Amino acid sequence: MARILIIDDEEDVRFVLGQVLERDGFEVELAENGKQGIEMIRDSECDLVITDVIMPGIDGVAVVQKIREEKPDIPIIVISGGGNPSPLEYEPGAIATNAYLASASQAGADRTLTKPFDRQELVDTVHTLLGS
Amino acid sequence: MAGRINSVAGRLVLMLLLIHAVLMPLLFFTLERVIENNLTNAFVDDVRIYSRVFADNLETLDPDSSQPEIVALLDSAILGGHSVYAAVVYEDEPILSSLMTESEAGQFSEDFRFGQNDDDIYFLSVPVFASGVMGLLQLGVDELPTRESVERIRQTLVYMLVVYLVIAVAAGASLSSTIVRPIRWLQHASRDITSGNYDSELRSDTTLVEIRDLSEDLEKMRSNLVGINARLQQEIAEREQVEAEQEALEKRLRHAQRLESLGTLAGGVAHEFNNVLQPVLLYTDLAIEDLPSDSPISENLKRVMRLATRAKGLSQQILTFGRQSDDWDFRVLKLGPVIEEAMTMIRALLPATVDLRGSVAPDVGQVRCDPAQIQQLLLNLCHNSFRAIRSREGYIAVSVTEVLVPKRVVGKYMNIEPGEHAVIEVMDTGEGMDAETAERVFEPFFTTQSVGKGTGLGLSVVHGIVMRHDGEIMLESTPGKGTRIRIYLPIVDESVMAVT
Repeated sequence: MARILIIDDEEDVRFVLGQVLERDGFEVELAENGKQGIEMIRDSECDLVITDVIMPGIDGVAVVQKIREEKPDIPIIVISGGGNPSPLEYEPGAIATNAYLASASQAGADRTLTKPFDRQELVDTVHTLLGS
Repeated sequence: MAGRINSVAGRLVLMLLLIHAVLMPLLFFTLERVIENNLTNAFVDDVRIYSRVFADNLETLDPDSSQPEIVALLDSAILGGHSVYAAVVYEDEPILSSLMTESEAGQFSEDFRFGQNDDDIYFLSVPVFASGVMGLLQLGVDELPTRESVERIRQTLVYMLVVYLVIAVAAGASLSSTIVRPIRWLQHASRDITSGNYDSELRSDTTLVEIRDLSEDLEKMRSNLVGINARLQQEIAEREQVEAEQEALEKRLRHAQRLESLGTLAGGVAHEFNNVLQPVLLYTDLAIEDLPSDSPISENLKRVMRLATRAKGLSQQILTFGRQSDDWDFRVLKLGPVIEEAMTMIRALLPATVDLRGSVAPDVGQVRCDPAQIQQLLLNLCHNSFRAIRSREGYIAVSVTEVLVPKRVVGKYMNIEPGEHAVIEVMDTGEGMDAETAERVFEPFFTTQSVGKGTGLGLSVVHGIVMRHDGEIMLESTPGKGTRIRIYLPIVDESVMAVT
């Protein structure tokens, strides 16, 4: 059974994605930030990674780069809530999510999904990447 | 009066009068004196010569023997008109002319100057020596004719001088007017210039050199003034033009900035919103799956699911406005078919009573666009037009044309590159809107609909789509008349496209 690592700083998102995929028969591991996620990839075998792109500390783009350095073959899905991060944190020149997703794709992510996506979209994408 | 005396003409006439007031009496008295002297001297000389001749005649007659002859001779002096008094006195025995009365005979007096004694008679005595006897011829000559001719000459002189004075004053006045007229003309000309009326050329016809020079200088000044004025007015017009353009540019930039920051703000909200919406959607989905399909809880959860899906749609629209959506599918194609397809759909959506007209020009070039977004844009615009028409008689007209956007409007009024553009125009004869509404109509959540009727996102989404296409949107609206919205999308040069 394929093992999927989910990296997202938002607990609710992390948990629900885990539940959805577990129901679909996948083994799921959860990481709450980029640093933890990278360690878990080193320690255990996993077949696919789903990572949020905007996270404190090591962000999604950096996670993708790190994985590509060590395990170039693992499929990666990058997810993001469209638009910019919180308007309260907005400064002129802040990088838009679009740009983040583009950088993640450039760094080697296989797919990008914009939140909110529905259950079927996620499951289909995972199956496609795993060839199952 | 003071004004007249202080004027050039007044001064000239006054000077003339003063000169004559001094000169004329002087001239008059001098002339009168000379003439009077001449006449009286001539009279006296005449009388003396005559009396001498008369005395010589008398000396030929003997005083004792020829008394009647003497009297006759004396009578002849009076009869000849020369004298009024004639007598000769020999040894205190006067012989008188028989033509004199008693009273006349006694009036002789020693009176040897003209005009003496006020008796109008010039008396003189001439010694006579006849036949050894000494006598004294006494003659009195009438002064009146001489006095009268002096008087006549004096009168003539007065007339002449008066005539001279009149002529002199008239000549002076006319001279002063020939000087004053051009000065007056200059004065009017300069007054005209002062009051800002200096369009007509100054040309003096005076022959007076000073005035002509002055008027030429004035003309030079005037034409300089005209030049300066024209230059100033041109500068003002240019400055006003620049200011108007600057103002239009600033207004457009302010508007764009406000929409930009609103987009950023709304995009930020949507981002957070999406992060919340994601688990809501998925948890609900899972929960529905966990429940038997006939469970009443499942029914409610399906409602939650529908609402969350609607919220997803809203959030998507906000991102479209803020140009932060990811779902773009750009292609290079002709707009005509895209619009026609959308029109078919819109016709189906709108009530059959709505008069929707469409015209697509056949030769509009290709644009780089996302057809789904263009159709969304047209749907939103037509929906707005439909709401603007409501129960009114009216129509919605959609057209696609190609126009050349000239360089001069770019930057100031439109934020696009100059050149060929496809223009999608949606025009309605609806209720229109005022300037204040038009200013804010592209802002998200700005709506004139009552709460609950519209989302207030329609036109902001249109704006977002147009901006994402590097296009421009222009809105014209007249309250009560209708609204016209034009969307400019750059035409893609096919030869360039082929290379890239």
